[in-house]
Amino acid sequence: MKCEQTREKSADYLAGELDEKSLAEVRAHLADCPACREELEGLSAIWTKLGVLPKEQPSASLRSRFYEMLEAYKEGMEKERARLDLGRNLSRWLGRLMPRKPAYQIALSLVLIAAGLGSGYLLSVRSRSAARTEVAGLKGEVDDMRRIVAVSLLKQASPSERLMGVSWSAQLDRPGDEIIAALLDTLNQDPNVNVRLAAVDALYLFYNHPEVKDGLVRSLSGQTSPLVQLSLIDLLVEIRERRAVEALERLIQDHDLNPKVKKRAEMGLTQLS
Amino acid sequence: MKTIVRLAGIIILLWAAGMADNAQESQADHAVVNFSNPAKPGKVEVDISEGSITVRGYEGKDVIIDARWRERVLTEKEQEPEAALAEKGEELDQEELARKKAQAEKAKGMKMIEVESMGLTIEEEENVIQVNAEEGKRAVDLVIQVPFSTSLRLSCRDDERGVTVDRVDGEIEVDTSDGPIILTNVSGPVVADSSDGEIKAVFGKVTPGKPMSFSAMDGDIDITLPLDVKASLKIKTDEGQIYTDFDVRLTPSQQKKEEDERKEGGGYRVAFEKVTLGLINGGGVEIQLTTYEGNIYVRKAK
Repeated sequence: MKCEQTREKSADYLAGELDEKSLAEVRAHLADCPACREELEGLSAIWTKLGVLPKEQPSASLRSRFYEMLEAYKEGMEKERARLDLGRNLSRWLGRLMPRKPAYQIALSLVLIAAGLGSGYLLSVRSRSAARTEVAGLKGEVDDMRRIVAVSLLKQASPSERLMGVSWSAQLDRPGDEIIAALLDTLNQDPNVNVRLAAVDALYLFYNHPEVKDGLVRSLSGQTSPLVQLSLIDLLVEIRERRAVEALERLIQDHDLNPKVKKRAEMGLTQLS
Repeated sequence: MKTIVRLAGIIILLWAAGMADNAQESQADHAVVNFSNPAKPGKVEVDISEGSITVRGYEGKDVIIDARWRERVLTEKEQEPEAALAEKGEELDQEELARKKAQAEKAKGMKMIEVESMGLTIEEEENVIQVNAEEGKRAVDLVIQVPFSTSLRLSCRDDERGVTVDRVDGEIEVDTSDGPIILTNVSGPVVADSSDGEIKAVFGKVTPGKPMSFSAMDGDIDITLPLDVKASLKIKTDEGQIYTDFDVRLTPSQQKKEEDERKEGGGYRVAFEKVTLGLINGGGVEIQLTTYEGNIYVRKAK
């Protein structure tokens, strides 16, 4: 057995899957070849290390998140499978039609290419719009998955993951009622100031959505963190939400209000009135 | 499995009659807690109202907690009971006044014995250790040693010493009201906020894909990132300045609102969101930095 052949069999050797004859050959070669011996020892060390790596433990929520995503994906796949089966039968049938001689194969390919280019050109306009609907459809599916993941992330214990949830929500084209409700909920209930701040920014993007303006005005009275209050006041002023006037007036009356926030609220009042 | 380790000590200091000195030694508690599953990274949550929290990573598997209770700050009222009584005589109602006078009479010639319930509780459940201090009269300085991979959630209000963390690789969530937040040799992700304190974080490396956020109402934010970090910065500050020695590629803020009502007889208005977006090394980990007055410093690790 030569070095080349030994190398080929080294994986099976390490896994203990060589038949007796090959095993004897490998052993005989190793006895004579110090280079191969060294190589195999190195490989063997890596092999053992791989074996003792601790398996990563996924978090508990990963399971439910995964199944949700899987469901969404499976629905998409069901539609694909119908198309795939047809495709497979078709390609098998076509294979039988292919000529044996290479010269004829080349000729056939050239003819097909010409035909393809020709019809492609003719059909280009029609196919472009078809492609667009397909892309839109795909985007819709991606949006659905994104929505599921975002809602799930917003409920995680880790504030960094909740930040990711807000960020994913902000990237949706059409957030939908569920996401808006989740973001407003986060704004009002999240224990972390940073997450609430991020929620204000995300809601800013969706201020046209019916629930948002109302939700933002109502949120103002419940906020205690000065940074969140400032951010919310700025947002309400910027979207010219006149319904915020009452909430701002009430806020200014609060004795515990941070003086900087008070100043901003008063400025906001003049801008909105 | 639920493991509850409860430490509630009542310490009674007895002073010999001859001791005139009122100096008290601060009392120290010591506890070693292990995680239900030491092979998996654990989490330590600390919530105290007055005091400071110091956390250090070390090579062991257990969490070692040392609590040092500070001397009780005697209020004026206790130092000069009678003078105070006289002052406040008009404010307290007669009954209350009479009762306090009677008590002062009974205590004449004696020294007060400090009876303090330490009020520190430590609980562990499913790899999460919770340390809480009752809102009592004494502030506590906690020094906690944790395994490197531990995640932390630390909350400390009303105190100027704040929170310090060194050599911890897990996720760190911190909030303080007065004290500073100082993190060194951490790898994140970090979510920190402080009302009055400053925030300082020095990253040894940065965990990719996990967003971070820092916000400070009055203080500065000063973070140091590794040279090769890939980060997307989102910075908002009302009156502060932003400084960096990184090569930051500023990208236009997408948050621009345009209103054109000129066709309907209205006006034209464009509003830009006061946010600064910048990419370091092409962008990557989202880092949000928000201050009101404080400056923001984004430094390269030397």
